[in-house]
Parts: sequence; C-alpha cells; structure tokens
Amino acid sequence: MSNQDFERQLASQIAQLDKQKQPERDLWQGIELSLAKDQAEPQPRKQAGNTVILRQTSTWVAMAATFAFVGVLSWFTLNQPAPQSSPDMMDVAMTLSQQHEAQKQALLVRFEDQPALTQNWQQQLAELDEAAKAIKAALAQDPNNIALLKMLQHVHQQQIDLIETVHAPKWQQI
Amino acid sequence: MNTQGNVVSAEEAFAKKAERDLISAVKNGDKQAYKQLYELHVGQVYSLCLRLTSDKGLAEDATQEVFIQLWRKIANFNGESKFSTWLHSVTSNITISYMRRQKGWFQRMFNIEDSEAMHYEASASTDAVDLDSYISRLPERARIVFVLHAIEGYRHEDIAQMTNMAVGSSKAQFHRAKQLLQEWMGYE
Repeated sequence: MSNQDFERQLASQIAQLDKQKQPERDLWQGIELSLAKDQAEPQPRKQAGNTVILRQTSTWVAMAATFAFVGVLSWFTLNQPAPQSSPDMMDVAMTLSQQHEAQKQALLVRFEDQPALTQNWQQQLAELDEAAKAIKAALAQDPNNIALLKMLQHVHQQQIDLIETVHAPKWQQI
Repeated sequence: MNTQGNVVSAEEAFAKKAERDLISAVKNGDKQAYKQLYELHVGQVYSLCLRLTSDKGLAEDATQEVFIQLWRKIANFNGESKFSTWLHSVTSNITISYMRRQKGWFQRMFNIEDSEAMHYEASASTDAVDLDSYISRLPERARIVFVLHAIEGYRHEDIAQMTNMAVGSSKAQFHRAKQLLQEWMGYE
C-alpha cells in the first residue's frame, strides 16, 4: 500500500476522532475546593503544582511532610479550646472519606493476587490511615479549615498512589 | 436549504451569546457560571489531556489543573478568538508543563529514562484498530507533536515554543510519529 493511501487513511481517521471524552471520576469537587482555597488566600499562587492534585510531589517526601504536619496538628489540637461545630464541612470530610474508602477497597481487591514491589507497603498504608485520622480529629476542632480538608484529600491520594505504585510493574510507570 | 442555513446560524448565534454571557459572569467571579462552563468544556479538555498524556490518571489531574488555572486566567480572554480555541491553547500549555513536572517525579522515583520501550499504559495489544490506541503507543515527544500538529492544527513553530524543542526537532518527531503509525497500521 502506498504512502498516499496511508495519508488518506490517516486524515480520515483523524477527522473521525472523538473530540469529547468524559473523565470517569468527578473532577469538579477538587477544582471547587481549590478555588475556595484561592478565595481564602487572595495572593495568587505562582506554582500551579501546589493545588489539590499534588500528585507530582514525591510520595516519600510528601509522606515525611505529612507526618511532620500531623505532629504539629496533634499538638495544636491538644492545646485548642472547646470545639465549634460546622456540620457542612464535616459532612464534606465524611463523604470524602467514604468515597476514598470505597476506592481503596476496590483497589485492594483488584490487586489482591498481584505481588507488591515493596514488603512494607501495608505498614505505610496503616501510617497514612493514622495520618488521616489525626487530620479528621483536627478538622473536628477546626471544621472551616480548607487547608485541613485538602491535607486529608492529599493523604487519601497518597494511599491510592501507594497501592497503585507498589502493584504496577515498573515498565508501566512511564 | 436557505431556511435550514438560517436556523443553524440563529442557533449558533444564540449559543455564542450564551457562551459570552457565561464567560462574562465567570469573569465577575460567578462560581455557578464557572461550573456550567466546566460542564460544557470538560469533555473537550479531558480528551486533549488524555491524548497528550496517554494516561487516565494524569489526564484527570491535568484537567483539574487546567480548570483551576483557567479560573485565574479567564480575565485574559479578550474574545478575539473562539473560546474553545483559546481553551485548547491553555490546555495544551498547562498539560505539557504538568507532564514535565510529573515526568521528573517518575524519573527521580524509578530512575527511568525516556525510551521507546517504556510507555505508560501502552496498549499491549497489537491488533488495536482505532487511531487513539496507536497514538497512545507513540513515544512521548512524538505523541505530543503528533497530537498538537496533526489533530489540533498547531504549526511546528508554535509547538517548538510550547515544548521547548527546536522547530527541526518538532518536524523530526512528527515524521517519526507518522512512520510508526504507518508501520503499525500495516502500510509498510
């Protein structure tokens, strides 16, 4: 078959390409949270990576940062005065946690029979669970703190990344 | 035919006005309007992100990044071009920059060099028939150039600027992409 046939076939297939594909998960929630944070902090952030997504950060560095942050939070929580309730934000945190738990369990079932790249991933997962618990406790004390909600999402995402990373073969990573 | 043409024009004009109103509301900080704008364009943005990254997770993250930055940048849209054209340009730039940062993370993490043998989520099947499957198997730089030039219609000069590569490299990558596609589609 000639080059002309190929060019014709290629042009025809390009014209037929689907220009509208919907993402499988709801992305609006994360966007909305980030916009809310932007409004709370009027100074625009120059680094686009510093958003709700945060997946580009090294997991290990981020985990270290999380534990340090949770330590400070725990200290803060213990030294805070009486809590104030704000059911709406707590509901959001609760919904996020429920969705995350369902996603995590689905992944764990999916990778059940697959060998992991590291031995201690379950321990890391448990540590992240502890981090999430501490953040939720801090949120109960300070329910309007968007930064805490984002931190919770970040820890959830780290758990998902951890499960996927340790179970994905290396050749799939790039 | 004339009547049909008029109906189409009227519908288009109405849609354009609705979009202009929506953008104007967003510029004034109306988040509800922004959600509507998101719903109208998320398919288009995600589709381009997915083609550029060839990875669902990255594409979803990049889509979020686009809409977060779009909220801050929308004041720069002056209405001289179509909004969808402007949005495509914003999407391409943000996604490429996002991939650059992400790639750095993966390489640091796994010490992996960019090589033709390693494509994230590359289809293992050799009998994939649709063009998107073939595109996802292209090496990263060839894929980005192919998507931007052949599908999105950017000039090599623009692509060179967006991707920090020489114009000649962009042309070479496009040639390479076409050669691979030609081979995979059975034209050699």
